[in-house]
Formats: sequence, C-alpha cells, structure tokens
Amino acid sequence: MTYFKRFLIVFVCGIVQIFYAAYLLLDLFGISLGWHINNHIFMFVPGLLVFVSSGILCASYYFGDKKTNNILYDEYTALRYYKIAAVGYVLNGIGIFILFSIQDWANWNFQNANNMIYQIAAFAWLTFGVLLAVFSIGDYKESKDG
Amino acid sequence: MGKHHQNLLNNLEELRKKAGLTQQELSEAAEVSRKSINAIENGIYVPSTVLALKIARTLKCKVEDLFKLP
Repeated sequence: MTYFKRFLIVFVCGIVQIFYAAYLLLDLFGISLGWHINNHIFMFVPGLLVFVSSGILCASYYFGDKKTNNILYDEYTALRYYKIAAVGYVLNGIGIFILFSIQDWANWNFQNANNMIYQIAAFAWLTFGVLLAVFSIGDYKESKDG
Repeated sequence: MGKHHQNLLNNLEELRKKAGLTQQELSEAAEVSRKSINAIENGIYVPSTVLALKIARTLKCKVEDLFKLP
C-alpha cells in the first residue's frame, strides 16, 4: 500500500457514492435524467465498494510491510480518520432526523416508506462521499507537501 | 520555541535541527509519517506519550526538553 493507492481507493469510493447520491436525489426530486438504473442490483455498488475497500485497507494494515504501515497508519492519520467519521455521523444524524421529521406519517404507505429509504441512502452516500473525497485529496496532498 | 498548540509548547524543530536530522529521518526513526512530525512542529498535533518518548529517544533528550505546558 502507498499513499497514492490509498488515495485512489478512498477517492473512488467517495466519487461513486456522490454519483449514486446525485442520481437518487435528482430522481426523488422528480428531475428526469432521461435514463434509469434498471437493474436494482446496481444499487449495491457503493456499499460493496466500501466493503471491499475497507477489506483491502484492513488487510494492508494487518499483513502489509511494517515500516510502510508505520508511515501510512500512524496516530496522526488515525486522528484524521476519526475526526472525519465523527463529522459524518453528526451530519447523518441531523439529516436522518430531518428526513424523519418531514415524512407524511398521516398518509403512510409502502411507497412513502420506499422513498424514505432512498432519501436516507442518498443523504448518507452524499455525506460520506463528499467527506471521503475531500479526505483522500487532503491526505494525498499532505503526504507530498504537508 | 516553534509554533505552538494551544495546550502544548514544543521545541521539536530546534532540537531536531540541532541533532542534524531532517523531518524524514526523524519520522523514520520514530516510526511515524513525516507529516506527523511536521504537524507536531507546527503545533497542529499533540503527540501520544509513546510517540513523544520515541522522538525524545531519537533526539537523545528528555520529553520535557521537547514539550512544555503553556
């Protein structure tokens, strides 16, 4: 693992999440893109990507070269990850609270429930997607110039 | 004294240069990234006890020589 490989892995995760979030949000707001993701299996892509990427990063942490890992996974980087995760959880907490608050509970049905699930997914993807992309760029730039 | 964190004054840059080490060399000896050393020197980051001891061991000084409370 190198700084650049980590940048690529995290950045791709972030960008894919932003893409899916944008797609869902436009769809939810009724803005027609002229095309649709017909096969809903594709909706698992962001989650799978995060799962696989986390696996790769974990494997490199536990089984990678110790000298390289001292640099890549030191306590300063861990603190940055921790802070960015904390920001993500806070934003998602606020967002999900708002999403629950604006639902039409008086006329609740499966369609509304389905929409809410998509809204939550879109919001979470957007939040973590932006944070991951920003983090990956900052992390890589810092490794060069910081 | 270099740039300081609000909770910790540090003398790292001066002692590192006195020891004739670059940030890269110190980071390799202390088993952290160069940006961690840079962040400590610039008062952005407060190191853990273990890291502070490793840096002190590398620079052959006491932790108290490197860091002081404001």
